[in-house]
Amino acid sequence: MRLIGAEVLKLVRRRGLMAWTFILTVGSVLVTEIILVVLHAVNPDHHGPAGGGNNLENTMFLVSGLGTVAAILIGATAGTQDVSNGVFRDLVVTGRKRSTLFNVRVPGALAVFMPILALGLGLSIACSFLLAGNLPGPSGSAVAKYIEYSFAITAVNVIIAVGLAAFASSRVVVGVLIAWNAIVSHLLLQISSLGSARKFIDVAAAEHFLPPGNGDTRIAMSSLAAALILVGWAIVFSRAGNWWTSRQDA
Amino acid sequence: MRHPGPPPTVRRMETVIETHALTKKFGDRAAVNGVDLTVPAGVAFGFLGPNGAGKTTMIRTLLGLTQPTSGDVALLGLPQPAKRAEALARVGAIVEEPRFHPHLTGRENLKIVAAARDRAAEGRIAQSLERVGLEHRADDRVKTYSLGMRQRLGIARCLLADPALLILDEPMNGLDPAGILDMRRLIRSFVDEGRTVFLSSHLLDEVEKTCDQVAIVDHGTVVVQGAVGEIAAQGDPTVLIEIDDPAAARTVLSSEPRITNVEEEGASILRLTLGDGLVPSEINRALVNAGVSVSRLEPARATLEETFLSITSRLGEGE
Repeated sequence: MRLIGAEVLKLVRRRGLMAWTFILTVGSVLVTEIILVVLHAVNPDHHGPAGGGNNLENTMFLVSGLGTVAAILIGATAGTQDVSNGVFRDLVVTGRKRSTLFNVRVPGALAVFMPILALGLGLSIACSFLLAGNLPGPSGSAVAKYIEYSFAITAVNVIIAVGLAAFASSRVVVGVLIAWNAIVSHLLLQISSLGSARKFIDVAAAEHFLPPGNGDTRIAMSSLAAALILVGWAIVFSRAGNWWTSRQDA
Repeated sequence: MRHPGPPPTVRRMETVIETHALTKKFGDRAAVNGVDLTVPAGVAFGFLGPNGAGKTTMIRTLLGLTQPTSGDVALLGLPQPAKRAEALARVGAIVEEPRFHPHLTGRENLKIVAAARDRAAEGRIAQSLERVGLEHRADDRVKTYSLGMRQRLGIARCLLADPALLILDEPMNGLDPAGILDMRRLIRSFVDEGRTVFLSSHLLDEVEKTCDQVAIVDHGTVVVQGAVGEIAAQGDPTVLIEIDDPAAARTVLSSEPRITNVEEEGASILRLTLGDGLVPSEINRALVNAGVSVSRLEPARATLEETFLSITSRLGEGE
């Protein structure tokens, strides 16, 4: 626990990283809701209330998408900061195993990111009810599904970023993972000839947790399969990071 | 720099570092080449060598930061890497320049390392900062620290382990004269407490002033090892002579092949290096017979620098 606390300390003291994480996960929702409220106030005939089910869907996709970017930033920083600051060898000479020093990065990064994501999600959900006006509010099951999806896609990206950044010893993985999540994975999902193989794409597995009707292009799979696929991605990349951290000279 | 609190209890042992045939190769090049090294407990031990001699690679190999190609290492009497964690729990080390998370304060950087050590380490943070004189800057970000302050913070980080052995890689690098003096005193205070300090350096003068024992390393090999005074005395004897006519003296001395070197020390003082059993009285006799007045003739204390240069130049000739 003390090592995880140390990882949290290293991350939360990075003002720029924390600022961008808040902007992407909380600020984006806040700005969107303010714009929706203003539009509704100025022209209620053309712009409905800022809350309700449809607006929740939009802000949830926003917070999940931009939250994924923040998750990658935090994960990549956690995965590389000891080595890039030249401190890793000082941790190794304490006698701690290299694998232990790597393994605490994941819970440390998650402990920093998840509360901020929860704040963004909470704001989005609260606005969907409080600003619903005459619109029907979102159902409880839809809210639960959106929360599952957001946590799944961002948590797995935190872990992938920690592992891949440690493995590559570079924060270049930030760009690679953003490109994967924003473009490459979606292009692959559009290639129907790949058939059921597409279910092994992490984005497809995460989309399984979206409420019905919001993922028309979703690949059919069970909840267990989706969870196992996400866990598999997390294990593969964290193992890769652990392996490289354990074998490289400090 | 203050030294608060009573000296810590340090487990008694005879040697703190022992290596046998330790070798580390990078491709075909041996950075550490069959080193047999024995560092006794309770001394300041200098690991002396020119840049690129293999000092840092040796330290990295001792600490398990890189795996040796062959050979054995024991730290604090414990075989490595089998008892690595147990040994390193009582070892503090600075490898190359001390590095920190620049966005964290000095105190926070120590917290990070204390979290990787035993629970008592966190309780030593304030004491360690005070010991190196950084208590007033402990809550400033490290990126605002000078190199000297970082060196001291590195020492404070070592002290979190309550170390029986401190391994310091070029600790005087980048320090101003006052900082060097402070570091020297600090190192000696550790030795006075019963700790062992293994210090690598290319600064001969500093090793001679700070250390009790020394190993001279060159091309990855330990060339000589022992007490500083004994090693310094291994060089060829030198004498200082003061004469009234240096030019005439040089002419006389040039006819004596057993004088291996003549250097001017002042307007009328020459330093002579004697070889092949030549004794000072023979020089005196030759100069007086040639009409040169000798007003002073005394043996010069050999320095570690002369021995070092003598050894490393001999190695160079052998290549």
